[in-house]
Amino acid sequence: MNETQNKIENEVMNKISSGKVQLRSKYIFLAEKLGIGSAFTLTILLAVLCFNLALFYLRASDNMAYLSFGSQGFLTFLESFPYLLVVALIILVFCAGWLIKKSDLSYKKPFGYFAVGLICFVVIGGIILTYTTVAEKIEQETFESHIGGLFFKPFLMHGLEARRGGIVGRITEVGGDYLVVQTPRALEKIILTSDTDLPSQPLLEGAFVVAIGKRVDNIFMVTKLQLINPEEMQMIRRGVHRRFGKFQPRADMPNSCRLSPSSSKPNNGGCF
Amino acid sequence: MAINTANFTDEQLVVEIRENNKELYSEIMRRYQTKLSHYLKKFFRSQDELDDVLQEVFIKAYKNLYGFDVDKKFSSWIYRIAHNEAINHIKKNKRKNISLDETEWEIVDEKLDLHEEFDSKQMGERIQRAMGELKEKYREPLILYFFEQKSYEEISDILRLPRNTVGILIMRGKAKLKDILKYE
Repeated sequence: MNETQNKIENEVMNKISSGKVQLRSKYIFLAEKLGIGSAFTLTILLAVLCFNLALFYLRASDNMAYLSFGSQGFLTFLESFPYLLVVALIILVFCAGWLIKKSDLSYKKPFGYFAVGLICFVVIGGIILTYTTVAEKIEQETFESHIGGLFFKPFLMHGLEARRGGIVGRITEVGGDYLVVQTPRALEKIILTSDTDLPSQPLLEGAFVVAIGKRVDNIFMVTKLQLINPEEMQMIRRGVHRRFGKFQPRADMPNSCRLSPSSSKPNNGGCF
Repeated sequence: MAINTANFTDEQLVVEIRENNKELYSEIMRRYQTKLSHYLKKFFRSQDELDDVLQEVFIKAYKNLYGFDVDKKFSSWIYRIAHNEAINHIKKNKRKNISLDETEWEIVDEKLDLHEEFDSKQMGERIQRAMGELKEKYREPLILYFFEQKSYEEISDILRLPRNTVGILIMRGKAKLKDILKYE
């Protein structure tokens, strides 16, 4: 056994002395530690931001509104859901977890503790950010096509896209059996039938509405329609304002059908 | 000037080696060759294979000396390298080996309270087989606990497991080993 041990010792020391085997530079280990630390910090911050943007999306787009239509609006809710944001969030959280596992100290405690801590941090951080205007600023950068916003475009764009089973926008014309609605993308005519479930309040120009129904030959046939409260769907409202500017009542409509740009309450009576 | 390293701790030796006294690494090897050889015998029956892996362990340990945190135990660190090299080698060669010394089965017998009346050679073979049948997650902490006399804390550092988990795995491993031996 001593002979073998000497043999191993001699072989290894020969390789060290000859330079065949060398110490890896301490800066490599330092860079590795810094790299993992930086990657982890960046991943966590992105996850917090992602969660915040998801909350913002749910609050400011038309997604949650479709649930108020009950089972009829459920498919449109699924259609308008922020899948990309949620998938990105999940991937970031998994990456952060993987980086925690790579660290030297994470094995000391069961990984579950770190997982719970990570998720709590992301959720609490995302909620705290809702009290700031970070999400609104990102929305502004994105839809005003600034370079900084380009990264977020794929995530937020879905909030303004056309839905097969739903529509949301500002009424610009009230007809006998139709409404013309300004959406963040275009002007759309939506058809009201005798079966359409309408709200009890009058439908006035300038009011924001959300509807479910279906598209038939590119025309939206409304099944159910609701008025939107002024504080709801800010992303949609801003989208309409960007596309069409401030609300301008049509000159040929009677006063009773006009809504002043700053108010959602009718002047008198109703038009529809 | 020659440095008297007899009283140096492993961690102090590592600091010296890093500061250009690379010849002191032979002292590290002298301190750990027998221990690591004994440990690696649990993974390899062939002496040649064992020697190859042992050499790789020392080379890898040397290369990565700057990756060792001197505030921690060097012993746990080098055992971790040995463990990883052994596992990698076994996976590469698709082998599942467990090899006990002649008297090591007695340690198992005592620790598990077996008191079997079997011929010692037969008992040794039974225990060897039983250890081989255990899942890796139980076998590894048991080997370190039974045969390397490592503490739970050290096993936690070597296998990168929480300390409580080490305790649970050893407890369950003992129970499973006892069951396997009972019904064999």
